[in-house]
Amino acid sequence: MSAVGEAERRRAPNPVRAHLEAIAAALSRALKPPMTLMYPDVVEELPEGYRGVIAYRYERCVGCGLCARICPARAIKMYKVPGDKRMRPGYDMTRCIFCGFCVDVCPVNALEHTKIHDKAYYELDSMVLDPVEWAEFSRRLIEEQSARSRSPNLVRAVFDEEVGLRYERLRRS
Amino acid sequence: MAIDAGSPAIRARQIGVEEGLRVVELFIGPQHPASGHMRLVVYLDGDVVVKVDPDIGWVHRTMEKLAETREYVKTIPIFERMTIIDSCNITLALVQAYEALLGVEPPPRARYLRTILCELNRIASHLYGLGIGGIFLNHSTMYMWAFGDREVFLTLAEMLTGARLTHTYVVPGGVRRDLPQGFTDAFAKAKRYMLRRLKEYDKIFLRNPVVRSRLEGVGVLERAKAKSLGVVGPNLRASGVRYDARMLGYAAYGELEFEPVVGEYGDSLERIWVRLKEIETSLDLIEQALRQLPEGPVMAERYLKMLPPALRKLVESTGRVKLPAAYVNLRPPPGEALSRAEAGRGEIVYYVVSDGTDKPYRVRVVSPSFRNAVLFMVLPVGHRFMDLPAIYASLDYFPPEADR
Amino acid sequence: MIDAVPLLERVLTPAVLAPLLYPGLATALVTVLLVIWLERKIAARVQMRVGPYYVAPRVHGALQLVADGMRFFFQEVIVPLTAGRGFLLAPALALAFTAAAFAVIPGGPGVVGFKTDYSLLVALAALSLTPPLVLLMGWASNNKFAVLGSAREALLTASYEPLLFMSALAAAVMYGTLDLVAAVEAQARLGVVGLALNPLAALLFFVAMMAATDRIPFDIVMGEQEIVHGPYTEYSGVAYGVVMGLDYVKLYALSLLYANLFLGGWLPFNDPLAGSLVLYVKALAVMAAAVFLRGVYGRLRLDHALDALWSKLFPLAVVSILVSALIAYYLGG
Repeated sequence: MSAVGEAERRRAPNPVRAHLEAIAAALSRALKPPMTLMYPDVVEELPEGYRGVIAYRYERCVGCGLCARICPARAIKMYKVPGDKRMRPGYDMTRCIFCGFCVDVCPVNALEHTKIHDKAYYELDSMVLDPVEWAEFSRRLIEEQSARSRSPNLVRAVFDEEVGLRYERLRRS
Repeated sequence: MAIDAGSPAIRARQIGVEEGLRVVELFIGPQHPASGHMRLVVYLDGDVVVKVDPDIGWVHRTMEKLAETREYVKTIPIFERMTIIDSCNITLALVQAYEALLGVEPPPRARYLRTILCELNRIASHLYGLGIGGIFLNHSTMYMWAFGDREVFLTLAEMLTGARLTHTYVVPGGVRRDLPQGFTDAFAKAKRYMLRRLKEYDKIFLRNPVVRSRLEGVGVLERAKAKSLGVVGPNLRASGVRYDARMLGYAAYGELEFEPVVGEYGDSLERIWVRLKEIETSLDLIEQALRQLPEGPVMAERYLKMLPPALRKLVESTGRVKLPAAYVNLRPPPGEALSRAEAGRGEIVYYVVSDGTDKPYRVRVVSPSFRNAVLFMVLPVGHRFMDLPAIYASLDYFPPEADR
Repeated sequence: MIDAVPLLERVLTPAVLAPLLYPGLATALVTVLLVIWLERKIAARVQMRVGPYYVAPRVHGALQLVADGMRFFFQEVIVPLTAGRGFLLAPALALAFTAAAFAVIPGGPGVVGFKTDYSLLVALAALSLTPPLVLLMGWASNNKFAVLGSAREALLTASYEPLLFMSALAAAVMYGTLDLVAAVEAQARLGVVGLALNPLAALLFFVAMMAATDRIPFDIVMGEQEIVHGPYTEYSGVAYGVVMGLDYVKLYALSLLYANLFLGGWLPFNDPLAGSLVLYVKALAVMAAAVFLRGVYGRLRLDHALDALWSKLFPLAVVSILVSALIAYYLGG
């Protein structure tokens, strides 16, 4: 049952047969569909628990600062917010490594992963968010996430014995 | 035409003298299509390699020193970046060392889940090595196939951990996520697919006469030499040494049926063959682990009971671990721990010293690629220049891992 | 371009027209773009990919190469300070010699630039003038990788040229002529194509053609993983476009030769338009087969390639000439 037969490995293959087999293997793959995800034409449905950009809910936060203390990349820092007695976390997306320690350590589930990982900005400064900005940005993120899940181009990765991964369209356009 | 030896035109083409031989000195890398993040200084006598001087350290990121300035749990993502394509295997030994210092035991289910992710990583890492090996011989199909099929296993890892590469899955006391629904079915399909693909790899790569002529008998590493050089991993096993750190039985390996793949000839073809064979072994190990997966928590009770009851319930219902506040400043008692594990490229060793504070006093890591780097000086000598990429291909050398 | 042939024939003399328009440089340019696109698409299919797509998705990215070509044209041509004489002359001259071959290669029935009884010989001679220029490129580039690449070119040329000429000779012996038009006519007379008559010679010519045009597995001269880009390392901009395209133009020329010698040329048509089209499609098929193999093989080692060409394929080429002589004897007898 071994794929790479021991005996076959030892014995040099018959060159003519080996050439033909190699060509046949290439040809037979050429007849099967590609496994490319046509990003960005399609939107991939990501698995539950995907570790994307982190969303922050200001109203849930108790300002304990554990997220800032556990962040290995120092992406989360505590800020003073005018009119608020407690310190609140701010988010530096240029530093975030999406390890999700902050989400796991938050005692009140004020932080959560979204399924969004592809964000681009013209300025570095606009990627550094103070707590109020982060909360606002998170609202937009969550809206964007639900818009994506309604996208007509949503595809899902399906494991397939023939082609490995197949990206199935979930909606007929 | 008179040749002015000092003119820049002649200097660039100049033939140098090295140890009495008239040689061409070639600087391969760091900006070269096939050098990786390193430089190989190659001395050629005609078409024959006289000497190779691997110049490593171009991607040194002071990981060991950085770790001394970070709390224990924060060092895991740092070391993960040593071999990003093999991150579970690379950090497992580190976490085991931390656990030994902290005196905490991961629950059985966590040990099995670690094994599963480690083997997924090993498959992905071997496929990466195989793909890079393919393109070193300009075999673009092997390159694309291996990278495409690696995607299957990255998707599985993503299902399990939420991230494709930097899983940060193994933490002191257990793992961060429980097995998701549908994983076993998805893996069963992936396994059948991969076994089918290994046969195709065989046809297009290992048994392909053109590829075979490049690999067979090239860069032979004898058994005794492999041992004396301290080579590790598939490169060692290809030379006929039956040594695999997984035989130590860490994580769940002690409870699974496991037999290391051992080669015989020690040539480039054998090294690549051992890796392909190990993919099979890994598929088998994951299947065993999934079958024998024990029930129970995925995090040590010591940390779970620190959580408020609401969060404990959440952990049980979602299968995603919440970390207690005390996790931020883990303070192991003063002491030292040594831990090793078999990463994709060989045995990785961590030595951790704790002085009782919340940061490690010292973390020393000896990575498999670093131990294999010596082969660049040994194997290509006496071979044709075109054998150098073939040998590099077979070593599955990963510069960031060696440079730390 | 093919449509315009009958009209333009009255305007320009064929000897100028053929190397410049059809089957010459203008067609060659389009063919190069087409073949590179085809190569990338075939390789992509074999490798479970999509290949060029986003430049004109409706035609499956066929304009990708036009975009790439434009980039080459607008890129600065950098001549290294240490470059020697002939750095830019060599690619231009190589392209000119390759174009000269099209003067004698028939592009269809009656579509011949310059009629000669030795057209096969002239075409091969013109094509074999390019390797010395590749040597010049490597030397003039004044770079160790380029010089090593030139050395490889010299070694490889000395090994594949005999094979190329011997297998062409086998065809010539078979048809009893060195003229390509006469060769096609001979195949028409015999009612069977050269590939069926002498498959050995056809195979050897194909292998030699692969080696002559740096196709995988004989892409030793470029040898990206060892010597960056061989003799072409220092070229940039449009000069790089020319040296890159050169091998494909040669491939196109040799594929036309192959189609004429072994695939019956423009048969079964004798009308200039339909005949030209058929010949072109046949040549395209040969090129597609040549570029498909990039998805199957890696690169051969230099010494293995030389060994195979001399000690295995060269004796076979001698055998193929004997086979051809026998065929000629029995059929002509």
